[in-house]
Amino acid sequence: MNINIPRQYLYLSVISLFLFIFVLVFSFSVLIPNGKEYRIKRLDVKKHYKELRSYRNLHDETYSILKELQGKNVRIITAFDTTFNPKKFEKQNKVYFSDLSVKEITLEEPQEEFAVYEVNTSSHINSPKSFYDFLDSVNKSNWIIAINFPIHFKRDKDIIESSFTMKVYCNNKERVSQDSVSVDK
Amino acid sequence: MKHSYITPRHKSALTQDVQLLLSFFTITILMLFSTYTFLIYKNYVFTSEKETVIIEKNQLKVSLSSMKSKIEYIEKQKMLSEGIYTKNIVLKDSMVNLFDLVPTRITLSEAKLQEKGLILYGITPNKDVYNFMLQAPLRSIFHRTYSSFYPAKNGWLHFVSTNYIDEEDIASEH
Repeated sequence: MNINIPRQYLYLSVISLFLFIFVLVFSFSVLIPNGKEYRIKRLDVKKHYKELRSYRNLHDETYSILKELQGKNVRIITAFDTTFNPKKFEKQNKVYFSDLSVKEITLEEPQEEFAVYEVNTSSHINSPKSFYDFLDSVNKSNWIIAINFPIHFKRDKDIIESSFTMKVYCNNKERVSQDSVSVDK
Repeated sequence: MKHSYITPRHKSALTQDVQLLLSFFTITILMLFSTYTFLIYKNYVFTSEKETVIIEKNQLKVSLSSMKSKIEYIEKQKMLSEGIYTKNIVLKDSMVNLFDLVPTRITLSEAKLQEKGLILYGITPNKDVYNFMLQAPLRSIFHRTYSSFYPAKNGWLHFVSTNYIDEEDIASEH
């Protein structure tokens, strides 16, 4: 049996077959692996974006909490940051005493977070009321001051000699500097 | 041999069929390559996006931990300062109460306030006034109270009152 196919159609068939094979090979060797990679990466990026969103929300919440806390405690934070100045302390509290002098300042063994200075003072007051007023004002002063024992009062004619110990609390500078370094990083 | 008298048709290799087939081939190959380019581009974009997101996440983590430590530190400062303020107020109140305890007939010349004790020096008209008006209330506050007297020039009595709170009792109260 003689099949008479024109040569042109034969060429076309061969080229079509070649294209078909090329499409198959290209799809299976290049497109499908890339497509799989695309799908995996898309899901991965989506997951990372989701995590990022939750981190941002947490960050924003924490930031607002920090700002609120800083806003509410400005005085305390500033007081802890302020280094104790004996002259300023004497000047501020002279109204309660007829005479006030800071005798000795010693740094106690450094604690982890706060530095504590022990301050010995001697003063003269007209009445215990002045000392009460001083105790009221200490809680509003520029420093965090705890009045400590021993407190000694001795009458000398019309005035009372008094001496007492205070503990002044402030930030441990080393810790603060370590914190700022870690934040910079 | 046969001869034709008509002029021969101009024959081209690009017949209509071939043109159709070529355009089909071109479109197919273009689609394949455009898909491939799209995938390559998107994969690159996803990789760079992922890197950016990871960097941003790490920055947020660092910032978060720094903020958390700041919050923790402010809370500690707040707690410490509130404790100190309360102690100062309590100290003031106890001093007011102490000096209110001293009756007008007794005059104090010296007072030593210690963490677990109180020493009072003064002058009293007689022992009874001291015992009833000062020692009794002091006994109700302190666990151990000791008094000693010695005569003054005006016939009154100087007294020294030493009062202590026992350490074990303070611990059990806390």
